[in-house]
Amino acid sequence: MDALSALFAGFETALTPINLLWALIGVTLGTLVGVLPGIGPALTVALLLPVTAKLPPVSAFIMFAGIYYGGMFGGSTTSILLNTPGESSSIITALEGNKMARRGRAAAALATAAIGSFVAGTIGTALLTFAAPAIADIAVQIPPSAKFALIMLAFVTISATFGGSPLRGLISLFLGLAVGLVGTDLQSGQARFTLGRPELLDGIDFITVVIGLFAVGETLYVASRLRKDKASVIKLEGNASMNREDWRRSWKPWLRGTALGFPFGAIPAGGAEIPTFLSYTLEKRLTRHPEEFGKGAIEGVAGPEAANNASAAGVLVPLLTLGLPTSATAAILLAAFQQYGLQPGPLLFVTNADLVWGLIASLYIGNVMLLALNLPLAPVWARLLLIPRPFLYAGILVFSTVGVYSLNNSVFDLFLLALFGVIGYGMRRFDFPVTPAIIGVILGPTAESQFRTALQQSNGDFSIFARQPLTAFILVVVALALIVPPILRARAARRAIA
Amino acid sequence: MQDVPPSAHPDAPLASATGRRGVSVPDLLVALGVTGLGLLLLLGTFQIPFGINAVVGPRVFPLIVSVGLTALGVLLTVNALRGDRAEPAAEEDTDPNAPVHLEAAGIVLGGFLLGTVLLPTLGFVIGTAIMYFSVALAFGERRWGLMLVVSLLVALVTYEVFTRGLGLNLPPGVLKGII
Repeated sequence: MDALSALFAGFETALTPINLLWALIGVTLGTLVGVLPGIGPALTVALLLPVTAKLPPVSAFIMFAGIYYGGMFGGSTTSILLNTPGESSSIITALEGNKMARRGRAAAALATAAIGSFVAGTIGTALLTFAAPAIADIAVQIPPSAKFALIMLAFVTISATFGGSPLRGLISLFLGLAVGLVGTDLQSGQARFTLGRPELLDGIDFITVVIGLFAVGETLYVASRLRKDKASVIKLEGNASMNREDWRRSWKPWLRGTALGFPFGAIPAGGAEIPTFLSYTLEKRLTRHPEEFGKGAIEGVAGPEAANNASAAGVLVPLLTLGLPTSATAAILLAAFQQYGLQPGPLLFVTNADLVWGLIASLYIGNVMLLALNLPLAPVWARLLLIPRPFLYAGILVFSTVGVYSLNNSVFDLFLLALFGVIGYGMRRFDFPVTPAIIGVILGPTAESQFRTALQQSNGDFSIFARQPLTAFILVVVALALIVPPILRARAARRAIA
Repeated sequence: MQDVPPSAHPDAPLASATGRRGVSVPDLLVALGVTGLGLLLLLGTFQIPFGINAVVGPRVFPLIVSVGLTALGVLLTVNALRGDRAEPAAEEDTDPNAPVHLEAAGIVLGGFLLGTVLLPTLGFVIGTAIMYFSVALAFGERRWGLMLVVSLLVALVTYEVFTRGLGLNLPPGVLKGII
């Protein structure tokens, strides 16, 4: 019951007219930017950070909540009408939803995605409401060595376990860690890797890295191999809506997708990709219309889209309770917290209860707003897909410039932005995933500080990492996650040859 | 540098499985670059002074990172020498089978750097207008008048919204007093 009374207090914060307005602005901007091709939810949040620069923290985070969920909703529109998933968790929606749209069922595909996202988002937020305080209570007792081990687990699962090449993922992670090293060491005051530049004493701002790798890198890469034929945007007649048959076929996939998505978001296991694939496979197995799969089955949109949004809610559990982001978007939210001098983690529920609960309450509100924004206004968002690419990408670059320049009013940061843009280009060209680098930049300094705190408490005795039971257990899992997949792969390859 | 992408096969299971076609020079250079960066970091690590009164000094973590990056770079180099090559990413709005136009990326980058250099003196509006114009140019837009008007308009509206609406401090430059 404790969580409920705290939630009511949160609603009191979130339901003030001014905060409702920020929530509305957040969901609108989030949807708007999320719909634009080439911009996923992570970049949406990063690009919109400067917009909140002058807001008080509570309003800023209420707005972030809207942007976060709004970016997810907007992405499904792009996937369905343009067949271009902005991120790996939208691949299934693009696959099945675009086929539906091609068969003239765009309205139903958009509706089942939006309503499914609403259902999953609301249930996921409810689970977050009750799980988060409980986990925060336990998390207070986790020692620094185990926190370090948890961060290692997040590093390994995000960079090495999934994705095409574990090696490339790990290299991306280490590049991020290296960038995170630049600046003054907070514990000893020593300058590290600053090349004598005073601008680097404060370190490299994660926003510069995120916007450089994502936005500038993307612009450079797309410019170099632009698709010349016009992208075929499917025209949408009228609102997003579903008939009785669609409802009958959608509601169970929504619930099953939610059940799959939330736990996968909540454990540090590499985000929303896995549950969307699992949900798709599950629906394919359970459906009474297997012949429609691959040709536009509504279950194949409803389930994965719900899984995607439920995992977005699940991601907030480790973020708020442990300060542990399990997706690129969550990592940027974490960094946004840090900009306000707040450290997400178990203590946040004690020291900033009004902020956390205002944020959680605004997730419920944002979900309702998004439903209202997305069903009747779907044709409006669809028009955004028609913006000519030269003007769209030029606009993205200008907004990137504002975001980075306004950090420190420094031209030096813009040169850094260009540098990370070139690196981002290279990463796309040579198939290095960007997300591990982002996680490395943002979480690297935290990892180092937990590592050193743990060793200081043990007076420099490294065996603390083996003696503390929870730490040892997590580190064994980390080692297994690193070692087992390559062995399995090698064995499978040998069997294929034999 | 004409950089033709390897015949992209969207259904190919793994780049490494299909990519045994001799050593790819760009891939090798990237792998050596990663290794070199790791070694440079290692060098930088040894220039960090030892911390005083600290059980774990400021050197330990950089040491782990630089040794790790170097080792991973060596692994990547070995793979590249064995014929692995990276499959360029397929993004929204890209065509994996189109010829690669590095000069378009060069125009974007050049425009961005030019705008950045001029930004303090000419001001934010003109600086970002140059960037906007060059991206539009690189993406194949050729309606010059429209490009000019839209560039200036987007830059101006962005400036006004962020300085007046959100209270950010952006340099007006030569347009000081006018905007």
